[in-house]
Amino acid sequence: MTALLETRGVWQRFGGLVANSDVSISVGRGEIVGLIGPNGAGKSTLFNLIAGVLPPTQGSILFDGEDVTHMPAAERCQRGVGRTFQVVKSFETMTVIDNVIVGALVRNTVMREARRKAHEVLEFTGLAARADVLASDLVPAEKRRLEVARALATEPKLLLLDEVLTGLTPTEAQTGVALVRKVRDAGITVLMVEHVMEIVMPLVDRAIVLDLGKVLVEGKPADVVRDPKVISAYLGDRHAVGA
Amino acid sequence: MDKDFAARRRRDLIIAAVLAVIAALTPLFVKDVVVQNILILTLMYAGLSQSWNILSGYCGQISLGHALYFGLGAYTTELLFTKFGVLPWFGMLAGGVVSALIAMGLGYPFFRLRGHYFVIATIVIAEIGLLLFHNWEWAGAAMGITIPIRGDSWLKFQFLRTKLPYFYFALALCCLAWFVTWWLENSKWGFWWRAVKDNPDAAESLGVDVFNSKMGAAAVSAFLVAVGGSFYAQFVSYIDPESVMGFQFSLLMALPAVLGGIGTLWGPVLGAAILIPLTELTRFKFGGSGRGVDLIVYGTLIVLISLALPRGLLSLFSRPKKTGAAR
Repeated sequence: MTALLETRGVWQRFGGLVANSDVSISVGRGEIVGLIGPNGAGKSTLFNLIAGVLPPTQGSILFDGEDVTHMPAAERCQRGVGRTFQVVKSFETMTVIDNVIVGALVRNTVMREARRKAHEVLEFTGLAARADVLASDLVPAEKRRLEVARALATEPKLLLLDEVLTGLTPTEAQTGVALVRKVRDAGITVLMVEHVMEIVMPLVDRAIVLDLGKVLVEGKPADVVRDPKVISAYLGDRHAVGA
Repeated sequence: MDKDFAARRRRDLIIAAVLAVIAALTPLFVKDVVVQNILILTLMYAGLSQSWNILSGYCGQISLGHALYFGLGAYTTELLFTKFGVLPWFGMLAGGVVSALIAMGLGYPFFRLRGHYFVIATIVIAEIGLLLFHNWEWAGAAMGITIPIRGDSWLKFQFLRTKLPYFYFALALCCLAWFVTWWLENSKWGFWWRAVKDNPDAAESLGVDVFNSKMGAAAVSAFLVAVGGSFYAQFVSYIDPESVMGFQFSLLMALPAVLGGIGTLWGPVLGAAILIPLTELTRFKFGGSGRGVDLIVYGTLIVLISLALPRGLLSLFSRPKKTGAAR
C-alpha cells in the first residue's frame, strides 16, 4: 500500500532564507509520526506546506495518491487533511458546539446531521460538558482540545497536530497524549509537530528530526534520541562526542 | 441541548410572527400621517439594516457603502419604468439582480482586502457611484427622475391618497429580511459566515470556501437592500443621486445593527425601532434647520454604545453565559 502522505524534494525559500531544503518524508496509514527538531528547524514551514497554507517553492506533495502540491487548504480539507494551529485560532464569538459544526459541515450538508456529528466529536474529545460555552471563555488547554475537535469533525484521514501538547501542565499533557492515541485507534493517521521530547517520544511510532531545514534523522524514537547527530543538533557537538 | 437549540429557533420564529401581526394592526389605531410615515421608514430601515447585517454582521465584512445598492435598486426600477414602461415590480427584481451582480463584481477584487482597508474601499466605491449618477445625463444626472403619477394602483405600485400600501410593503420587506436571516443563521452559509468573520485562516483549514462565502453574503445583502431602494423610490416618487445614494443611507443601514447588536438576529430590528423614530422626530421638530441634529443623535448614541455596550443593546437581554460551571 502506498504512503498516505509523501513529500518529494520539497524546498521552501523565503527571500534568502531556506526554510526547507530537499525534504522528502512519507507517512504511512495508521501511523503516529512525530516531526521534531530544534527551534528554526523548519517544522512549522513543512507543516504549513502539507496543510496547504502556501505551495512549496519546489518539489511536490502527494496525499492519498494524489498530487496536492498546489491545492488550496480548503480543498485539502475536503480530501481528508485536518489540522490544528500552534497559536490557537478558535472562532471566539461562537459557542464550542458551533465551532465544531463548522468542521462537521465538510462531510454533512444537512444541518441536523452536522450537529449530531459535532456532538459526537465533543463526546470523543471530552468537551461535551462545554458545548454551549463561548469559545472565548475556554481555558487554554480546552482551546487546544477544541482545535483537535474541530479538525476531527472534518473526518480527516490525516490529522496534523501543531504543538498541541506544548505549554500544558503535565496532567493536561497526559490527557492530550491519551486523546492522540484514541484518535489513532479510530483509524486516523497523525503527524505531529512537537517540542517536548519526553512527551512525544513514547507516543509516536516514528520520529522525523529536522534541522536547518533538512531531514537529519528518521526512525524509531528510541534510536532517534540516541543518535549523535540529533544530540548534537539539540545540545551542541560537545555532548555528542560522548554518546 | 439539541432540543434547547430547536426550541430557541422556534421561539424566535413565534416572537417574530407575533410582532409582525402587532405591526400589521397598528394602522387601525394610528391614523396620523406623520406617524405612519415614521412607521414606514422604521420598518424599511429595519429591513435594510437586517440585510446589511448579513454581510457586515454575520460575515464580518463591514460595508459603509451600501447606499450604492440602495441607489442602484431605486435607479434600476425608475429608469426601467420611465424609459421602458417596465412595471416597478419587475424593476424591483431587476434592481435586486443588478445590485447582487455588481456586489459580486466589486467583491472579486475587494474581498482580498482585510479590515479597515475593506471598509475604506466600500466608502470610496459608493462615492464613485454617486458621482457617476450625478453626471449621467440619460439617468437624469443631478436633476434626478420624477416618477410620473398615474393614479393609485397596485400594478404600478403608487398611491397618493393613502400610505397604507407602502406601510404593508415595508413590513413585508422587514419580515422577509428577518426571515432570510433566521433561515440562513442555521445553514451552512450562516456557519461559514461566522467562521470567516472570526478567523478566516482557521475557516479555510476546515474546508470553508472563504472567498465564495463573502461573495454569497454580498449578493444576498445587496439584493435585499436594492429591493428596499426600489421601494423607497416608489414611496417618495422622486429620486436624485443624493436622495437615494447619499452616504447617510450607508450610515442608516449600519447604525441600527450596531446599536441593537451587530451580527445578531434581533439587533437590527431593535436598533431601528429606537434610532429611526428618534431621528425622524428630531428632524420633524427642528424642521429644515434640523439638518445635522440627527447626526448629533447618531454620534452620541454610537459613543454611548461603544463605551457601555459594545455588543449592542441586545446584550442586555441575553443571559451571560456561565464561564466556570460545566453543565
